[in-house]
Amino acid sequence: MLNTRVKASPKSPEKMRVRRDTLTAYAFLAPFLLTLLVFFFYGFVRAVYFSFTDYDLFNPPKFVGLKSYINIFQDDKFRIALTNTLLFSFVTTTLQTAGALLLAVVLNQRIRGLMFFRSAYYMPSITSSVVITLVFLWLFQKKGIANYLTTQFTQYTPHIVLFVVVLVVAQIIQVIFERLREAKNYVPEHREATSFDALARIRRVTYVHWSDPLLLWISAAIGGIAVLVASFMGWIQPRDVATFDFDWVYNTDKLFGLLPIPLLFIILMNTFTTIPTLMLFFLAGLQGIPTSLYEAAELDGATPGQKFWYVTVPQLQPVTFYAVTISLIGTLQMFDQVKVIGDAAPLDSIITLSYYIYNYSFRGGSSLAGMASAAAMILAVLTLLVVLVQRQFFKDEVNR
Amino acid sequence: MRRSLLLAAALLAGAASAETVVKLNGFAGADVAIVNDLLNKIVNPALAKEGIKAVFEPFQGDFNAALTNALSSGTAGDLMYIDIFVAPGFIKTGKLLPLNGKVNTRPFLPTLVKAFTDSGKVYAVAKDFNSLAITYNKDLFDEADVPYPNENDTWSTFADKLRKVKKALGNDYYGICLPADFARFGAFAFATGWKTFDTKGNSNLLDPRFKEAFNFYTGLVKDKTAILPSDLSQGWSGGCFGGGKVAAAIEGAWISGFLRDNAPNLKYGTAPLPRNDKTKKRGNFIYTVGWAVNKESKNQAAALKVLDLLTSEKTQQFILTEGLAIPSRTSLQSNAYFNKTTQEAVNAKVVFQGASDGYVYGYSFKQYGGDWMTPVNAALQAVMSGKSTTDEALKKAQADLNSVMKR
Repeated sequence: MLNTRVKASPKSPEKMRVRRDTLTAYAFLAPFLLTLLVFFFYGFVRAVYFSFTDYDLFNPPKFVGLKSYINIFQDDKFRIALTNTLLFSFVTTTLQTAGALLLAVVLNQRIRGLMFFRSAYYMPSITSSVVITLVFLWLFQKKGIANYLTTQFTQYTPHIVLFVVVLVVAQIIQVIFERLREAKNYVPEHREATSFDALARIRRVTYVHWSDPLLLWISAAIGGIAVLVASFMGWIQPRDVATFDFDWVYNTDKLFGLLPIPLLFIILMNTFTTIPTLMLFFLAGLQGIPTSLYEAAELDGATPGQKFWYVTVPQLQPVTFYAVTISLIGTLQMFDQVKVIGDAAPLDSIITLSYYIYNYSFRGGSSLAGMASAAAMILAVLTLLVVLVQRQFFKDEVNR
Repeated sequence: MRRSLLLAAALLAGAASAETVVKLNGFAGADVAIVNDLLNKIVNPALAKEGIKAVFEPFQGDFNAALTNALSSGTAGDLMYIDIFVAPGFIKTGKLLPLNGKVNTRPFLPTLVKAFTDSGKVYAVAKDFNSLAITYNKDLFDEADVPYPNENDTWSTFADKLRKVKKALGNDYYGICLPADFARFGAFAFATGWKTFDTKGNSNLLDPRFKEAFNFYTGLVKDKTAILPSDLSQGWSGGCFGGGKVAAAIEGAWISGFLRDNAPNLKYGTAPLPRNDKTKKRGNFIYTVGWAVNKESKNQAAALKVLDLLTSEKTQQFILTEGLAIPSRTSLQSNAYFNKTTQEAVNAKVVFQGASDGYVYGYSFKQYGGDWMTPVNAALQAVMSGKSTTDEALKKAQADLNSVMKR
């Protein structure tokens, strides 16, 4: 902290040092400030000006007042783009934040090969979104892997159901057996007690968990053998189902009559690529939570779920606020995935405000830069509004 | 020693400053190698004496967006590609040099000159072009014992042949691959005598002639004679055709290069698009890219010389014999290449003839560009996927188109 009590003297070495420090700070900040001034502030002012003109990038702009704004609200494409953008932003932000938090909690455990998993899960974030979009388009095409796996799943439903049922039954039997055995061993003075007496003590001496990994492996093996035997004996057979050839991309349908299917496809992609970045923030946040809080919760008899809900989630509030903010801003401005998909999907199903702005700015010589600027202004105001609204949900954090 | 070095450096500097560099903006990708080859082999050697050197500077990514940016900010090259699809928009910017009196357009196909003409002024010279033709798989037609498509086919005889192939070969095979795209369907609409814009500049999708073509095109998909490329996990009908499960495709000469690389053993033939049963005419599109001169170029004279060489007979001969594209000069119509019997040469000849047979229009939609096609493509998709009736789809498309044209 700077010492402000230093006696003011023009030649004071302390004042000279302060001035030098300030200049040094500005020198380091200069590249960023310059970029901000030229590409953001100047660009923003120009866009505000153009939004009130009929600018077409080639001829000098003429002032037209609010005409561009009026035209925009009368334009069907704008209304569709606005709805798509808001839908996309809220659904994606929710999925991303929840997914990233869960993934971070999982990757914060002490597990073997932790570094590998952390790196592997971070990979989608550093891969180009264009490449990811192309890979997704390939996976989700009509004859793609996603549809193939769905077909296989419906075809082999009897096998899967049998496997799951046998696994669950085997696990229940094993766990009860183990618990009975342990209950018996736990109370040596009751060695001669009937198993009914021992059952009464189970609640107190449950050492084996329902999801015990070793027992789960044994149950899975039993399930596998059951499926093999049943299919070998001809008791179960693959179902004769039609090939699932759902069109994920060129589709005009809407989920629940609201969310266009191709937009859902983009939501899946965007969530996949952004979760790792947010996960990293949550991981950093998790490292900062004092272990004493968990220890105290454990002493109070909290379950893992309660520890997560009453310790982890409140402690991560600052990180959650940051993650939600950048996710909202990022999703409101999503552009590249729509651009890459291009004509492969119906425009109305994927158009977002950013794509609308781009499309109207660069139309092969017949640019509508005035209208595009007006749309950009609306997007800017919308972004500000959405962030302000979400601040209301994190009041404690904002006032901290 | 030092003096002679200085002298040499001065001479080199002098030589460098005397050279006029003409910058060319074009597509990235395969064009880079082709244009550089042309510049190195033909253009630059011919202009070396005059101290002119042409340099190709391709735009990566979205070419039209990059060109809009470059032209509006004054950083565009001296010569540039203009796609017929967006030519009306770029011409309206006033940034392209009218070529009347500066370039002799007479040796070029009139439809191609018209494609770049606005109010009597020519703004670009077509470097090459393409039109549509029927490419058919000879083995599949032979196996089905159905005669090949030919120049006498009408819509009904052609559709009949496709249905017979489909019937003979079974469920895994299709007669033709048809995309839900005006870029292919439009040729059929033109064959009925329908035009994209009427005399008042309006588009009428409810015209009975448009509906006739629409029903023919979508009907082939509805009765499963045709299949959409996406249903075979392909992005275009050439991809379906190359897979060997489809007997025919409607594409330009670009398909021969694709098949050479991706399906070298596929035996194919080429026939003109079928005639409409009533008008007895064919319809077709012209796809072309022209060279235009930047009006603000400081090297206009040199740029015009480069343009002259880039569209010269020698250059076009090179492009044709390399199997890259169809030349835009009428004199090359009688070129020996077209008399060859190879499948590529036959394909090139049919595509060349397609440019002047029947109702042929440029692949261009005034200043509306691709926005014009969006409602039509959506209507095609809706009907082909069985989600809408023809009447509903066309009504919606007309309403959407009206709002596009009102903007």
